[in-house]
Amino acid sequence: MTDCASCADERAAGAAFCEACGRSLAAASAPVAEPCPNCGYPGGVGADGYCERCGMLAGRPRDHLESDCGDIAAAVTDRGRRHHRNEDAMWLAVRGTDVDVVVSDGVSASFDPDVASEAAANTAGAHLGVEPDVSKAILAAKDAVAELVNGGDPRRAASNPACTIVVATVRGTEINIGWVGDSRAYWLPAEGPAEQLTEDDSWATHAIAMGTDPEAAMRDPKAHAITAWLGADAGPSMPRTGAFTVIGPGHLILCSDGLWNYLTDPADFGAVVRERLREGGTLIDAARGLIDFANAAGGADNITVALVPVSNIKE
Amino acid sequence: MPYTAEAFQNEFLALGATEVNSIITVTSSGAEGGRRTSGATEIIIVDASGSMQAEGRIQAARQAAKTAVECIDDGVNFAIIAGVSTAQQLFPAPGRLAVSSAETRADAIRSIDRLQASGGTAMGAWLLLAAQLFAQRPGDIAHAILLTDGDNGERAGYLEQVLASIAGKFTCDSRGVGVNWKVSELRKIADALLGTVDIVANPAGLAAAFEQMMTKAMGKTSADVQLKVWTPVNSTVRFVKQVEPEVADLTGKRVDDGPRAGRYPLGSWGAESRDYHVCIDVQPGAAGDEMLAARVSVVEGDTVHAQSLVRAVWTEDTALSTRINRQVAHYTGQAELAETIQAGIEARKSGDDRTATLKFGRAAQLAHASGNKATEELLATVVDIEDAATGTVRLRRKVEAADEMALDTRSTKTVRVGRSQ
Repeated sequence: MTDCASCADERAAGAAFCEACGRSLAAASAPVAEPCPNCGYPGGVGADGYCERCGMLAGRPRDHLESDCGDIAAAVTDRGRRHHRNEDAMWLAVRGTDVDVVVSDGVSASFDPDVASEAAANTAGAHLGVEPDVSKAILAAKDAVAELVNGGDPRRAASNPACTIVVATVRGTEINIGWVGDSRAYWLPAEGPAEQLTEDDSWATHAIAMGTDPEAAMRDPKAHAITAWLGADAGPSMPRTGAFTVIGPGHLILCSDGLWNYLTDPADFGAVVRERLREGGTLIDAARGLIDFANAAGGADNITVALVPVSNIKE
Repeated sequence: MPYTAEAFQNEFLALGATEVNSIITVTSSGAEGGRRTSGATEIIIVDASGSMQAEGRIQAARQAAKTAVECIDDGVNFAIIAGVSTAQQLFPAPGRLAVSSAETRADAIRSIDRLQASGGTAMGAWLLLAAQLFAQRPGDIAHAILLTDGDNGERAGYLEQVLASIAGKFTCDSRGVGVNWKVSELRKIADALLGTVDIVANPAGLAAAFEQMMTKAMGKTSADVQLKVWTPVNSTVRFVKQVEPEVADLTGKRVDDGPRAGRYPLGSWGAESRDYHVCIDVQPGAAGDEMLAARVSVVEGDTVHAQSLVRAVWTEDTALSTRINRQVAHYTGQAELAETIQAGIEARKSGDDRTATLKFGRAAQLAHASGNKATEELLATVVDIEDAATGTVRLRRKVEAADEMALDTRSTKTVRVGRSQ
């Protein structure tokens, strides 16, 4: 027997709704009794999520999410300090030592980018569970994001929901990655600078490839404009992919630009991540430490980071 | 649920910003099967003062009243008041209401032939009698039509006093025939009793005007619909305005409902759609904060028909906070258009041609830019519009009184944002 969170009536285990007050037991309606986190009003938060006294939104579940898979992997996503919502999304699935991980970053200029990134991460992640093919997973995510214009707010049709994506699978020492846009994957060996495994689909990367001075390119206001994305208006571009075999211990890191913007130099990136791995103790603490680092640096964008240790030593 | 309420706004505010604007479109598909949920009472008030003998007005008024009676649905309660220095009930017997049927309508039409023009104008007394008759049927959809041709002859302040005591008891559409009545007087009645005001310059147009008003009244299926606005602590409602089909400020009609909510009367409703502009002053939030600035509900008694949220999200991203919401911008312009025309008319009356030219110029610009063709055409009867886009106008030397009154009464009429814009 358990008590209903709403009216304290006893109910049989397995029931979905309280027989006394009719509320769903799964949802437990607990926030109703919670005081407002902003003004402390004991009457609490209304059914629509806003405080009945001060009107402030009591909290969005996506503001800060963590996925802790012990020693195998850890991922954290955070709203940052400047954006009103978290438009990043992530997926982390662990089966034994197999790891599937996805990071997606909604394009703020589009409508409902948070919905786009969530659809992309969930679709790609679910696809990897069935078939560990990063390219096909991204194409499935692309279809799911493109489909969003056909539902929800009609304004989506005018400004297609869009997002970036970076996907990785870890199978023993085999790592496969695929990406669209400027969310990144890095390989951080035990020593030396981090190696960027992805190449941003961005104006700066394109300009540098065409011979522009890298520093000048990064200073350009267009530097972060992405040249490829997932969305109904994305065109027929194929995701780019890469694969490699790990020959020494290290960490696979996936992150959104909310983190790497503060660490554009691979040596700096490697140093900061290593520092957090050393002092954090657990993997999830290290991931949290990287979120804190980005927030301390300004938190100008949403921040997502996933850490996957990979070793060539058979257990 | 026949009602919907949809909010149009740019919820993103720059840091430090405290003003939240939203347009709420309230639409009703009407009661099920178009049937009324409560009974209805109609009262026709016809000015029978001596001046009505001029230009065949009383004959036209008789014909118009008859036309209106013929439009009353079976089962609706009704009465006719003859307006002289006192209020006299023309039909049925004093203090009674008739139930509409072929027979009672025929009786009413015969009684209208007895209507004679003699005596004064006492709108306060007429409306007070109407309120007494409506009081016999609480809960009914209560609607009156008032026709006059002249100034109110009651002591100053009496009409206002009566209006304050009967506001909300019934809705009243007013029509002025000829050009010897005051727009400001009938507008007072329309504002207090949530009705319309218009000019019928030529008595020949009265029958059509009455038919149109009565047909519209018969389409009403709900008596007393209200807009309930909840706001958080330390926030205030700056204004609540109806902005379509015409501008009407409802801010002063607020009746508090609980500690942080107030109700604003919307009058009776049929199958129709109206737009409201809600403006809230809130306390500024930090970057990323999201606040519910208002919860706007369409209510009837304790029943909530529809609800919509007005939000405020503070952001440092100026690309978001400087986005202009088309609906808010459009209706802010329409409200300015109405105010500018009325200011122009005032200036012209007081002989300040310079101000009048400026105001009418701005009005022509606003009407043109928003696609309000009807108002632009009315303006063209008072000024020569040389270039609407830049607001270049010249005052006409000779302006027909009827044209200026038409511009005045219809200045509050608005248009919706073109769907294709």
